[in-house]
Amino acid sequence: MKLCRIVAAFVLIVLMSSVSAFAEQKLSVAVAANFISAFKEMAADFEAKTKIKVDGTFSSTGNLYSQIINGAPYDLLLSADEERPARLNKDGLADKPFVYAKGQAVLWSASKDFCKAKTWQDALKNEQIKKISIANTQTAPYGAAAKKALEKAGMWDGLQNKLVNAQDIAQSFQYASTSAVDAGFCAMSATAGAEGKKGCFFVIHEAPEIIQSACILKRTTNRASVEKFVQFLSSPAAKEIKVKYGYR
Amino acid sequence: MDYLALYVTLKLALVTTIILMVIAAPVAYALAYYRFAGKSFLEALIYLPMALPPTVIGFYLIIVMGPKGFIGKAWGMFTGGSLLFTFIGITIASIIYSIPFAVQPMKAAFSKIDRRLLEAAYVLGLSKKATFFRVIIPNSISGIAAAAILVFLHSIGAFGVLLMVGGSIPGQTEVASIAIYEAVEMMDYRAAGMMALSFIPISYAFLLLINKLNEDSRV
Repeated sequence: MKLCRIVAAFVLIVLMSSVSAFAEQKLSVAVAANFISAFKEMAADFEAKTKIKVDGTFSSTGNLYSQIINGAPYDLLLSADEERPARLNKDGLADKPFVYAKGQAVLWSASKDFCKAKTWQDALKNEQIKKISIANTQTAPYGAAAKKALEKAGMWDGLQNKLVNAQDIAQSFQYASTSAVDAGFCAMSATAGAEGKKGCFFVIHEAPEIIQSACILKRTTNRASVEKFVQFLSSPAAKEIKVKYGYR
Repeated sequence: MDYLALYVTLKLALVTTIILMVIAAPVAYALAYYRFAGKSFLEALIYLPMALPPTVIGFYLIIVMGPKGFIGKAWGMFTGGSLLFTFIGITIASIIYSIPFAVQPMKAAFSKIDRRLLEAAYVLGLSKKATFFRVIIPNSISGIAAAAILVFLHSIGAFGVLLMVGGSIPGQTEVASIAIYEAVEMMDYRAAGMMALSFIPISYAFLLLINKLNEDSRV
């Protein structure tokens, strides 16, 4: 019976402790995977300045989009395309979208020998390259851009058995940086981090520039705070972080 | 290390265990002591979540708990909110996901009780309810405890179902198993390692406890 009481006390403590600890003001932002590092820096900076906590949930844009139409309680979406925020706006789920960053797809490898080839197309033709990671071409805009570039180069069909699908662009980079694959289609932003600097990359000029839109979601309960964060996104401090991670 | 995610995991596992044990006890009781038409079909249905891929469970839960699903719709009418991507949503998912792990050990424990004990209780004038609380539960307590621990551990380990139904919202639906997956994706191996390591002693200690309980019940 003594054990019972200890268990009961433990249960009560865990269940009761939540309410007070996390009651402070907090924003919940859905962030496309390519923007994770930049977002984290911005969130930390914003928190320090305003004392408003900003939590991120990271995934592919398509995945976040389907969560939102199913009622996920985010205040803001930082998408990796223009299309999905526009659709949310049209469906009455979001305010008018605005562009917050422009990104670029790259082909990254942990092995510096990889970039000795003249072009990224030549680099991929090398027999040594057995596996190449690419983000989900349906749900991840960076994956879709990489696919377009491969199609333009006439290599999409030929590479099918070498391509490894990642959930989102962050996972594509994870596969490449752990050398689970020989090279990976990634976001330019990944090359700026500590891991990214250890390898080398080609800029994929054939891939369309990735215009990243954001939108405030209509269901937000923190409108004042989320508008403050949106303003912060175009502040000089935020711009500096964007440039650092290779966004335009 | 992400203490918030560990906390959500612990809270989810506790709430799941408490609710599920209360729901599962009468079900296990019926399965152990009654014979009725279609019993084996019902039993197989109850154990189905154990045999299905978590993504199948997740898929159907999204359908019924979404804004257009019948549970989601009813929930929306009463609360005005969504059930997906909330703590309550993942609690429901976690309960359904763990049903077999509560029912099966409890049914086994109930069936093992000597029938003569129950008959003696009835002869001495105890009602069915009184017999349940004063004879059956004390005599199958180690089996009940084992069921509770199994449910608790199974909920701690849930991943796919929760990711589909809950997304990954810090403080709400981001449980430790999802936080580990995301930390690995972001190559934060330190955070992933710390959290992963904290699972091993917890799970191991509970498994030791189950073994101990099983041994006790055999004596």
